[in-house]
Amino acid sequence: MTVTRDPRDASRAAQTTDRPGTAVDEAPVNAPATTPTLRAAGRRSLFWILAIVGGLLVAVLATVLAAGAGEGGRPLAAESAAPAGGMALAEVLRQQGVTVTVTDTLRQTQAAASADPDATLFSTDPDGYLTAEQYQDLADIAPNTVVVDPDFLALQALAPGVGFGGESDRDELTAQCSLPAARAAETLAPGGRTLGTGGVESGDDAGDRPGATDVVGCFPSGDDRFSVVQLTSGSAEAPTALTLVADATLFSNEKIATYGNAALALNLLGATDGVIWYLPTLADVAVTGPPSLGELTPGWVTPVLVLFVIATIAAALWRGRRFGALVPENLPVTVKGSETMEGRARLYARSNARLRALDTLRVAAVGRLARQVGLPRSATLEDVLQSVAAATQRPADQVRSVLVGANPATDGELVALTDRLRELERATIRATTPGGAAGNAAGPTSIPPLPASTGRMEP
Amino acid sequence: MTLTGRFVLLVALGVVPIVLLGREPGVAALVLLGWLLFVIALGCLDLLLAASPRHLAVQRVLPRRVRLGESVTSELFLTNTGRRTLHGVVRDAWQPSAGAGTNRSPVAIPPRERRRVALTLTPFRRGERRVERVTVRSRGPLGLWCRQATLSAPGNIRVLPPFNSRKHLPSRITRLKELDGRTSVMVRGPGTEFDSLREYVRGDDVRSIDWRATARRNDVMVRTWRPERDRRVVILIDTGRTSAARIDDEPRLDTAFEASLLLAALAGPAGDRVDVLAFDRRVRGRVQGAQGAELLSRMVDTMALIEPELIEMDWAAVPAQVRAITSQRALVVLLTSIDAAGASTGLLSVLPQLTQRHTVVVASVTDPAFTRAARETGTLDEVYRAAAAERALLDVERVSAAIRQLGADVVTAPPADLPPALADRYIALKAAGRL
Repeated sequence: MTVTRDPRDASRAAQTTDRPGTAVDEAPVNAPATTPTLRAAGRRSLFWILAIVGGLLVAVLATVLAAGAGEGGRPLAAESAAPAGGMALAEVLRQQGVTVTVTDTLRQTQAAASADPDATLFSTDPDGYLTAEQYQDLADIAPNTVVVDPDFLALQALAPGVGFGGESDRDELTAQCSLPAARAAETLAPGGRTLGTGGVESGDDAGDRPGATDVVGCFPSGDDRFSVVQLTSGSAEAPTALTLVADATLFSNEKIATYGNAALALNLLGATDGVIWYLPTLADVAVTGPPSLGELTPGWVTPVLVLFVIATIAAALWRGRRFGALVPENLPVTVKGSETMEGRARLYARSNARLRALDTLRVAAVGRLARQVGLPRSATLEDVLQSVAAATQRPADQVRSVLVGANPATDGELVALTDRLRELERATIRATTPGGAAGNAAGPTSIPPLPASTGRMEP
Repeated sequence: MTLTGRFVLLVALGVVPIVLLGREPGVAALVLLGWLLFVIALGCLDLLLAASPRHLAVQRVLPRRVRLGESVTSELFLTNTGRRTLHGVVRDAWQPSAGAGTNRSPVAIPPRERRRVALTLTPFRRGERRVERVTVRSRGPLGLWCRQATLSAPGNIRVLPPFNSRKHLPSRITRLKELDGRTSVMVRGPGTEFDSLREYVRGDDVRSIDWRATARRNDVMVRTWRPERDRRVVILIDTGRTSAARIDDEPRLDTAFEASLLLAALAGPAGDRVDVLAFDRRVRGRVQGAQGAELLSRMVDTMALIEPELIEMDWAAVPAQVRAITSQRALVVLLTSIDAAGASTGLLSVLPQLTQRHTVVVASVTDPAFTRAARETGTLDEVYRAAAAERALLDVERVSAAIRQLGADVVTAPPADLPPALADRYIALKAAGRL
């Protein structure tokens, strides 16, 4: 880019003169363009475009495949094809004509339940998002509720009498109960967690739940330890059933096809036309205290910020786009002529070459003084000393000490001796110049110009 | 392709619909997306409707030469061969030292018409200043997106040395003319040529009375002389590394050019033949056999392209170069630098060969900074500086003395004074008949 050398140049900026109607006689030839056309640029970078697109495709494919086969996804999520996911169960239910509605929050679940009051609610909360109150609400949503892998809070809220029973140590789990789904399943995959119903049997009417509560335990692993527990309550015309399945792996993609797992699951969930598949998320966590900044900001703030970022990028493109290539130019070397002099002066200073520096000044001064008192070039130093002493009417010893003798021991002496040397030169000029008296009257501070000593133009 | 500020503003204006419509985050994001698609669609439309910057025929009209420090107009004629009117900006990509200033010019060229883009160039460096390309940015009707292409349109302009010292020329030519027809009152030497006899007028030197002619005529006659004519002057310019040094913000080489131009301008009217050679290890420029006005124009043309080379001057080859130019006795002017004794040994070793046959003048620039530094001795640092400066000046004096001892002449002066000083020395030599 051409540098504007001088701000004044702006005043004589380029002007365009229009000549309307200037007809062009001969067919003008387009100037050859050095900028490649879009097509040419595309053809030249075709390899890279293809390489990048190919790489992206491979990356996307790999991600998709890895997501299907990997360990990712939440346990028992309806969309997760991972071993711990619940996609197999959800898909089979859908194939059986059951509408599976996936919900993320309690509010959504309640909305889905009001749309289909008979639907079975399927829920598991491995991350423990729900509170005791939310579990209470959960129990009232649907007539049939299946809670898989209930945690302590869930048991406290939903079935106060039911506790944990530890790991099952049986080699095989058989139904051994009247529950139709369990009977249909007959067996379950062995192992896994169990629930203890020791606390329920003592008091039939458990806790604060109104109405009678029947507790049925299936697949026992010992005394009062069951893998599936169903609590039935409410009136005869509107019974509500809560089924607790102790182990989440029973319904996972990995194990659903083993033993009677699938039969149990399908019978529990497929009894109604709809299933609400509810896995609590972070959105269920109740917020306490004043509303956060995020809740107070209007919805448009983030998009506006994004817009401004995009506008900034556009502005960068606007200002950053070069108006044609840079113009190269060979610039001349710039060497300052007095560099050597400065360098030598610093060398003198660094090595404290006081006498050498002073002698140089003296040699030059003697040359000037000789010329001033009218001695030829061939005059000896002694002649110059005598002539200068005579001209300035000073003792010869003093002149000698200034011009030859004195040896500066300190920096201060060097400066003082230099000053005396200069003073001697000025005195000689005053003494030998016919108009010297006038210069004298001007005072000792005025410094008459020294005669030029460069040997130029000697006629 | 490029954007404009208007497009950036349009993108930013998306704030209005987003704030008005987007109370919910989802809706606001949709509005944002919609707005971006809208502005990009507008930009694409604008780009499609813009005239192609490639459909342009470019013609340049340039003066061939310009003297450094003067301004010229560079003209660019753009013909639109496309079918749409081209609105946009044209950048004429001159090299920076061509001094083009603001080189972006707005243009509007209807189809099949031609427009002139004028640019005032004030070059600030000697030499060949080039332009290779013209970049055209064509704006769409909405002024959102632009098409941009760089077209090849080469041109060049030669920037000649300024010859500022021509202001000294009239006075020197006057002095040269005064030599003409002068009696030997002032000048009397073996070399001045006999011109004519004329009647004695009061004030003439009685020694120049030609008694024989006086006897023939019944009147007192005196002889007159004229300066020598048809002598040769060989100017040799050192373009080696020392010529790159900047003294008073002017390279030594440029001062040498100024001095040689003034000398050539003076020697032409004086009837002498001037040959110029720029040399370091090989010949960088040569002007031979030119006379009159052609001499100066060829000199500036040659000098325009010469730059200092960062190599040592080959003094050993200089006598052969001078011999190749002339075998007669000539005034050889060496425009070089006189430095420390060590750096000048090359020059000193070949001087005897030159002074044997020719009259030699060595001209060198002195640094006024040295003289200034030598005078200031207030503080310790200044004393050391003064000592170093005196050392340098003494070195120059020693080398000058050595050169004089070898029979050559020395002219040293600060950059501004060197050309007239050299001219004066030439006139003095001519008056003394030493050419």
